[in-house]
Amino acid sequence: MRRRLGFGVWLAAGWIGLVLLAALLADFLPFARYDETLAGPPQSGPSAAHPFGTDGLGRDVLSRVVYGARVSLGVGLGAVLLGLGVGAPLGILAGYRRRATDAVIMAVNDVAQAFPALVFALAVVAFAGANLRNVLIVLGVLGVPSWVRLIRGATLSFAEREFVLAARVLGTRDRRILWREILPNVAVPAASYAFIGMAVVVVAEGSLAFLGLSVQAPTPTWGGLINEGRTLMETAPHVVLAPSVVMFLTVLSFNLVGDRLRALTDVREIGLEPVRAPAALPLPTPTHPVRDTLLQVEELRTHFVTPRGVVKAVDGVSFTLDRGRTLAIVGESGSGKSMLIRSVLGLLPGTSIRGGHVYLSGDDLTAYGPAEMRPVLGRRLGTVFQDPMTALNPVRTIGTQVMEPLRVHLRMSRRQARAEAVELLASVGIPDPVRMLRRYPHQLSGGMRQRVTIAMALSCRPDVLFADEPTTALDVTIQAQVLRLLHRLRAERDMAVVLVSHDLSVVAQWADEVIVMYAGKVVERGPAAEVFARPRMPYTESLLQAAPRLTDPVHHRLRVIPGRPPDLAHLPAGCAFHARCPYARERCELEPPPLSEDHHHPYACWYPRPGTTAEQDVRTTGADSRGR
Amino acid sequence: MIVLHRLARLLVVLVVVTFLSFVLLNLLPGDPVTQILGLSATEESRARLRQELGLDQPLLVRYLDWLGGLAGGDFGTSYITRMPVGAELAERLPVTLELLVAAQIVALGLAVPVGVAAARRAGRALDQALTALSFALLSTPVFVLGVLLILLFAVTWRVVPATGWTSLSVDLGWNLTSVVLPAVTLGCGQFAVYARLLRTDLIATLQEDYITLARARGLSPRRILWRHALRPSAITLITAVGLNLGALIGGTVIIETLFGLPGVGRLIVDSIFSRDYLTVQGGVVLISVGYVVVNFAVDLVYAAVDPRIRRA
Repeated sequence: MRRRLGFGVWLAAGWIGLVLLAALLADFLPFARYDETLAGPPQSGPSAAHPFGTDGLGRDVLSRVVYGARVSLGVGLGAVLLGLGVGAPLGILAGYRRRATDAVIMAVNDVAQAFPALVFALAVVAFAGANLRNVLIVLGVLGVPSWVRLIRGATLSFAEREFVLAARVLGTRDRRILWREILPNVAVPAASYAFIGMAVVVVAEGSLAFLGLSVQAPTPTWGGLINEGRTLMETAPHVVLAPSVVMFLTVLSFNLVGDRLRALTDVREIGLEPVRAPAALPLPTPTHPVRDTLLQVEELRTHFVTPRGVVKAVDGVSFTLDRGRTLAIVGESGSGKSMLIRSVLGLLPGTSIRGGHVYLSGDDLTAYGPAEMRPVLGRRLGTVFQDPMTALNPVRTIGTQVMEPLRVHLRMSRRQARAEAVELLASVGIPDPVRMLRRYPHQLSGGMRQRVTIAMALSCRPDVLFADEPTTALDVTIQAQVLRLLHRLRAERDMAVVLVSHDLSVVAQWADEVIVMYAGKVVERGPAAEVFARPRMPYTESLLQAAPRLTDPVHHRLRVIPGRPPDLAHLPAGCAFHARCPYARERCELEPPPLSEDHHHPYACWYPRPGTTAEQDVRTTGADSRGR
Repeated sequence: MIVLHRLARLLVVLVVVTFLSFVLLNLLPGDPVTQILGLSATEESRARLRQELGLDQPLLVRYLDWLGGLAGGDFGTSYITRMPVGAELAERLPVTLELLVAAQIVALGLAVPVGVAAARRAGRALDQALTALSFALLSTPVFVLGVLLILLFAVTWRVVPATGWTSLSVDLGWNLTSVVLPAVTLGCGQFAVYARLLRTDLIATLQEDYITLARARGLSPRRILWRHALRPSAITLITAVGLNLGALIGGTVIIETLFGLPGVGRLIVDSIFSRDYLTVQGGVVLISVGYVVVNFAVDLVYAAVDPRIRRA
């Protein structure tokens, strides 16, 4: 998306230009001089002759404001140039020759922060004399630390980048690097800060003038005009309002231009671009019977409307699941597994469109609003995420977090919830659960944290547990423990489990049924043992081969699926896997293969594998670990 | 150990700052002797007064002398008023502190609900309105805002007095009416900064896994925002409040002038005008100590807000 400056910035730039022009040409403009008394009747309001009215001595306020702009803008320009002139070389030097200067800069920074700058400015101007030169120098010098910090920061971020490092390694001379590589890149932040610095200096000069410590009367300054106007506030408010409004607009304009310039270069901008909700056209779903099962997902789709096109993250996935069963969803990263889970739970970002149906015991969850979904989410569907490090709130105790669903959904008292939490933590194998309640997540190991998130997911005795890569972030020895725990809990609580993983060997031992996903679609499904023993789709076969096995010889070459997952916004014609498939033929590039009609073990492939490759292997390891 | 290290570092900062300001103030043209005796005084009487005030000593000796006194809690005696500087500061400090606290209450009282509401609906109308408003407030010099508020509330509607100060010990009601307008003036600009900071951090926090999981547990958006997301998002805000408080102890001079409040800022400015070095110097100490104290307080608050920062 191209970034645009926007209308407001041009308006702001126009205002700055206008004020600047007026200040330059003040002597030629058709109004009374700023010090001409009785140019009109004293304290008269705005009129054709005096657009901003007159002050207590009958002086033209417009004229005084325009002449005041000379001081404000003059001091602003001078101080910014002074700050830039001194601060930029120092900043570049500090950023480029980092080690020696870092300590110095930190120390100076500390002192500068504790040093009362305003007192310093006041004292210097008061003692040395309130005139244009002194005000300009003081404000310029006070701005130097900010300039050094800014330029140093900008230089640092470029001095570490590849092209500069490359130039250094190639032996390019420092001066050349500075001029050719760094300076052009520092220029934009510097320009942006020049505008913001103008705003800061104009306000600072105004403050000094307000206290009577800037250019002295009869020369008008904005701050001085506002200070004078205060005394007439009761009878002639326009005298104080006119300079106030002009000053406000000018400072606003400088800030606006500076801010937009900065935004042009800032790639980290979060959430500042307005997010437009897409037209929520529900995706069509063919009619289908509602079956008598715990969880039935029909033709579920999740699409994202992006500037690059429609991303079909989940595209027509269906499955059913009964109590006491485990369904595994496998596929490589980006195949839509996690998005499928979030889609079932209705936890999608605002920019997505969902289609299809999700039935829980025959009730269509896709027809539920957020408020109706909450009791379902809390009590009937449990969720465990991949990374236990980020799944727990870092600032709340384990106890608070485990007790929360119990208190909110089951309306337990604090005491009841506490007792229940202790029992839950014990049931997931956490030693000393009473003490655990008072701990914070960062005090726990990854495996312990995942046990806690499982305890939380199970707290309201859900019917279905969704486990999205529950062991991927854990180390191998812990993985088996956690999976065994999930398996045991499934049996104890008679739940259904949806287990998502990219690792086929993990789910092989624990799943009853498997769905293999690629590019948002189901490409193969069937009973777990069957799919592992006889994968038909070449993609499934590659997934099986990509999983490292304990039986592999040492220094065995790790097999990976060649190529990259397809761009979901621009899927290739034909089979989405054809570009990476070693068995692809011409037909694969032209026609997308449908999921075959075989109810037992369907697959989407024109040239399926005979499916015997991994049989021996998986059967032995599977049986082996199950027995352990 | 870390605490001691930090304390030592801040003490060094304190010494450097006071030394710099001491030297600067004395290097600047202007002389308390002239200020007291006038331009027509004889050289003899000038020399006598100089000796009496200790101004005949070298700069470094005077500084060390003063620093020694400060260590014992003695801020010195004003050259001009011949009053102890410490007593003068103690009299003015409560006014400035009350103003600061009231301003922070105004700023945070507005910023937290507005920031949370804007983050919750990022990019929507309220959020955009906040962006525009905060931009406008940030571009309004404090004396311009103050003048406008006085014009509206004191001159046009006459709900509060325009200027003047009633001490808290005299009358609570009058005290509150005299602090409300200055506090709102000072608080508005900070409200804008705080609300923006909180909004940005909250938007980042709301992307976290633990927030999605909280939604997956069927918790209400309100509960998630206030109980789950607010605290982890508050660190930057706390830093900003701390820095502000530190910076403002000497930075309220404009407000105090505009509203006629007898605070520390006003005292410093008046002392600058009358070349009352030691009183200015006392003000500088107050500001630097304020910075140090606030820095410490902020560290303590960090630990209270985020358990990861607590030491095991």
